[in-house]
Amino acid sequence: MTMSDEIETDSRTRLAGLVRLVLFMVMQGLAVILVGFAALFLSFEPVWSAAGQPAAFLKASDARSGSLLLKTEDGFADASRLGIDVDLTVSGPTVRARVTQIFRNPTQNWVEAVYVYPLPSGGAVDTLKMVIGDRVVVGDIKERQQAKAIYEHAKQNGQKAALTEQERPNIFTNSVANIGPGETVLVQIEYQEPVQQTGNEFSLRVPMVVAPRYNPVPVVQSVDFKADGGGWGAVKSDSVPDRERISSEVLDPATNTPVNPTTITVHLQAGFPLGEVKSHHHPIQTEKADASTSIIRLAEGAVPANRDFELSWKPAAETAPSVGLFREHVGDADYLLAFVTPPSVEQAQQKPPAREVIFVIDNSGSMGGVSIIQAKASLIYALGRLQPGDRFNVIRFDHTMDVLFPTPVPADAAHLGQATSFVGALQANGGTEMVPAMRAALSDSSNDANYVRQVVFLTDGAIGNEQQLFETISALRGRSRVFMVGIGSAPNTYLMTRAAELGRGTFTHIGSVEQVEERMRGLFSKLENPAVTNLTARFFEATADITPAAIPDVYRDEPLVLAAKLDKLAGSVEIKGRIGDRPWIVTLPLANAAEGKGLSKLWARRKIADAEVARTTQQISPEDADKAILALALGHQLVTRLTSLVAVDKTPSRPEGEPLRLSDLPINLPAGWDFARVFGERPQLPAPPTKRRADNGAAKVQVATLKRVQPAVVQAPATVMLPKTATDAELKLIAGSILLMLSLVLFVYKRRQLFMR
Amino acid sequence: MNRILPLLLTLLGLILFGQGAYIHAKALLAQVLLERAFNTTIATGRPTKPWSWADTWPVARIEVKRLHARVIVLSGSSGQALAFGPGHVELTPNAGERGVAVYSAHRDTHFAFLKDVGVGDEIDIVRNDGRAFRYRADATSVARFDASGIDPLADGHELVLSTCWPFDALTPGADRYLLHATMIEPGS
Repeated sequence: MTMSDEIETDSRTRLAGLVRLVLFMVMQGLAVILVGFAALFLSFEPVWSAAGQPAAFLKASDARSGSLLLKTEDGFADASRLGIDVDLTVSGPTVRARVTQIFRNPTQNWVEAVYVYPLPSGGAVDTLKMVIGDRVVVGDIKERQQAKAIYEHAKQNGQKAALTEQERPNIFTNSVANIGPGETVLVQIEYQEPVQQTGNEFSLRVPMVVAPRYNPVPVVQSVDFKADGGGWGAVKSDSVPDRERISSEVLDPATNTPVNPTTITVHLQAGFPLGEVKSHHHPIQTEKADASTSIIRLAEGAVPANRDFELSWKPAAETAPSVGLFREHVGDADYLLAFVTPPSVEQAQQKPPAREVIFVIDNSGSMGGVSIIQAKASLIYALGRLQPGDRFNVIRFDHTMDVLFPTPVPADAAHLGQATSFVGALQANGGTEMVPAMRAALSDSSNDANYVRQVVFLTDGAIGNEQQLFETISALRGRSRVFMVGIGSAPNTYLMTRAAELGRGTFTHIGSVEQVEERMRGLFSKLENPAVTNLTARFFEATADITPAAIPDVYRDEPLVLAAKLDKLAGSVEIKGRIGDRPWIVTLPLANAAEGKGLSKLWARRKIADAEVARTTQQISPEDADKAILALALGHQLVTRLTSLVAVDKTPSRPEGEPLRLSDLPINLPAGWDFARVFGERPQLPAPPTKRRADNGAAKVQVATLKRVQPAVVQAPATVMLPKTATDAELKLIAGSILLMLSLVLFVYKRRQLFMR
Repeated sequence: MNRILPLLLTLLGLILFGQGAYIHAKALLAQVLLERAFNTTIATGRPTKPWSWADTWPVARIEVKRLHARVIVLSGSSGQALAFGPGHVELTPNAGERGVAVYSAHRDTHFAFLKDVGVGDEIDIVRNDGRAFRYRADATSVARFDASGIDPLADGHELVLSTCWPFDALTPGADRYLLHATMIEPGS
């Protein structure tokens, strides 16, 4: 080697060493920065738990059914309940319930109280009568805001008052103002509900206990609003925190009788010959008052109110659809209720008709996640249920559309196999153009009368142009029946129900994969056994306002209820239809209608429901709908979204000091209740002043701070489910950059090695 | 082997990084298109889709002027919709109607500004029919996603904005951050 070479090699080595050092430093620096970033984004501390935060929203707190909760300084006190009586009258498809309860205020204060009663579904309260101390209070229906104003005014004045409002469709709350110390409160409410029917069995249920699995349970909370008027506060959940501290000098008649003794009487006028009558949780005794009425009482007299009372009854078997007819005269109009029950015996002699079923499945992006799984499972189940003689086709749509076969094909193994694999391969993606799919499904090219044509539509209904869909169905339906299957936790039920009505089919909701088989089986028993179709009703000699306006087909396990308001009860009603392919006509002379109760209210309730539907489908404006609902509610005295019952002290004039007499009561005490025992026993307290005097220091005045108690239904999901709102973008970004750094480091080291060699 | 490992790592790193960046890019770009579609909706009065294969459409604009934050809300709250913007949770009423309107979005994209919104801030919402409403934030809370305690049929005109909690976590969890606001009546 020459000298220059040596010198060059030396400088090269030194340079290499320097570069190596610098690179090493840079790598160190970058690694530190990376670790720093990671520490910033990754949180290794335990996640903040919600326990530290005040629960700003509702929390469950149980209340007995029909509890009177007294707001006191120390929290909520349960007023002692001394007795309950439930009297039910079943007239055909309606049940009228009268529930009477007595409470006593065991505190030493004037209180405002809240009374919550859960309603069976479809129930409506229309009567409220109370006796508070010795004041009589009877409710009137008023428009909601007006009712509230009247109640607040009376409360401020120290008058006894009560306000009944519909908070939720299944719960009504009753606020009672100015209850004196030691006073007795007698509450009687009346409500009306339709009889529940599944298949051949009719039933009713009286909620008596807190048992979330049986019934909607009223949840009553006390809310303490912060003094700063922020409008948001903490929730007290425990209803009776210090019962021991409330000294009770009141003689409690309940110590001599069973706790919450409840008597139940049912007057059962089913309207058809009764088969089996059964009580599910209590022994009963039945007696026949006359040929069509049975009276059912509890076998043990008074029972403790610890279980719901459930009664069911069945008709004696019939071979043709039985039609029930009930009438009621209210005001200047007659109300009629026609009740059509599908035959309990199948037309087994006839071969079930061959069907042509078009399945339409929505695979748009909004069905992504669980919904598409449920839809696919439902459809594959449905394909498995087809008979060899049936024909079918499958349409899938998002913002595009695919029809599996050009025309409906016989349901044989080959075609079913093709369809099953087609459905199995579906992915949820794209927009939702429902109208072209509906149009394709309804286009009936063969028009073969030998086949019953059915369209089964599986979707979550997430569209904005519902009106267009309704118009398409109405216009193009032809002889097809449209069955809507609503998929997912929040399908557009208004769309579904209305579409099913217009399509003369039914609506089935499938909310989870577990429900698929059971609900689809139910749907198929309807699809495979059409009971009565093409129903029309005509009144002779009377002009009638019928609801529902377009009578739906009657499927298995579903009753048809027709309510009508007539100008006179004369002539007859003719109901026509088809059973399978046999025409069926039944004419009912109205004179033979049985006397019913609450039919006008049932009719009004349905008209209100019609108005709500028309409002949602934008056939009428919200203002017009509200006007119609208000008119019906006020005319028929129903508590609704827009009306409430308000009652202010209506005591008949009585000389000062004279006690309340039985004849003053606006209600009949239930059988077995002793007026003297209820009202005669007074606590050893100084006579409570008849009106609360706000500035009297002697009586402790408790200003009710309870503004609005928010009950919620525990059983139905009243709270909103919040979607998953976190992406893994950050995680991926960091992981990606770490890996990139790592590979960069490796590259550099490799080059260094090469460089070294 | 020595040569393949760094290449592999680079590839993996690029893929992961790209995926993460894609989510953010999608969110940003979608909002641009949604802003245009929303303005068209208000101008023409007809629901306009932001792109032809979209399965959802803009229903409202949420704006917090103090933070210069604005986002366009989509109908529905499926995963697909939330990738592009906040979603209007189903079965809750629209902003301006009686009850509690609930809007949900991802904590790292569209509702990242939510952690800076404090009690007393004003939130403006413009609906796709052009009507505007103003809300004032009055409470924050944390709740599980299935125990939100929000009753959509409550009295009054209220708003809840929700997103995943905690804000700085990297993995999704069961908790949600809820910002509650009440409508400011015009003239009050």
